[in-house]
Amino acid sequence: MNLENDLKRALRRESPPPGFAGRVMQRIEHGEVQRTRPAWWRAAAASVALAALLGGYTAHRVVEQRRGEQAKEQVLEAMRIASEKMRYAQEEARSIGSHD
Amino acid sequence: MRKLVISTVLALLCAVPASAQKINLDFPGLADRAEEVVDITLDASMLRMAAKFFSNKNADERALREMIGGLEGIYVRSYEFAKEGEYDRALVDRIKTQLGASWKPLVTVRSKKRENVNIYANMVGEKVTGLVIISAEPREFTVVNINGPIDIERLSELEGQFGIPEFSSKEGKRHD
Repeated sequence: MNLENDLKRALRRESPPPGFAGRVMQRIEHGEVQRTRPAWWRAAAASVALAALLGGYTAHRVVEQRRGEQAKEQVLEAMRIASEKMRYAQEEARSIGSHD
Repeated sequence: MRKLVISTVLALLCAVPASAQKINLDFPGLADRAEEVVDITLDASMLRMAAKFFSNKNADERALREMIGGLEGIYVRSYEFAKEGEYDRALVDRIKTQLGASWKPLVTVRSKKRENVNIYANMVGEKVTGLVIISAEPREFTVVNINGPIDIERLSELEGQFGIPEFSSKEGKRHD
């Protein structure tokens, strides 16, 4: 029984406070009411976000590619120098050995 | 917890000799006097990145990729001068003094007319875990420091590959 009374009390008809309708209309006129954005706007926003994401990823890949190729070139240059010095020392050691 | 402490201590013990292999290759003012400078600094992460750009299909590139895959760093400083006497020969000794007891001299070439080359290897047992090459010519000074396990034979065999020019002491040094 209590539950029934509680529900009746909670759902009873109540009149809005005085001036409520006027205030609502005033806010509508001032553009304060949130308008729902059209579907195309959301699609456009998602496309821009996706393009930015793909663009960032591509730029990152390009930078990584360039850094990797530079590192490879540096490895080859370092190995060229090291190998040249090693070979020179070996040849000199061999030539001294062959004179003995 | 005990395992964590033991593994941390072991990691620190391993890290100390590894970092000790890196030689100080800062030569203040030398680059300003040189006509040409080669300055290469490749740490482990850069080497890993470079390794990805060596083809797996090409046997030579695959071999080089395997070679650099286990390295911790490659550092090269090379200075070419317009005339003789532009650098202090004591720089060679300055590098040698940095090498600890585990560093053994592999080859020493002394030449009055051409370059003096000192090659040192950091030996751990039978394995070479680091290499320092010091080349002192009248107009050129070069230091190469390779950290990590390196196959010396393979390194010297690289000539003639990847655009690395063939070199013969009888023909003299070939400049590109």
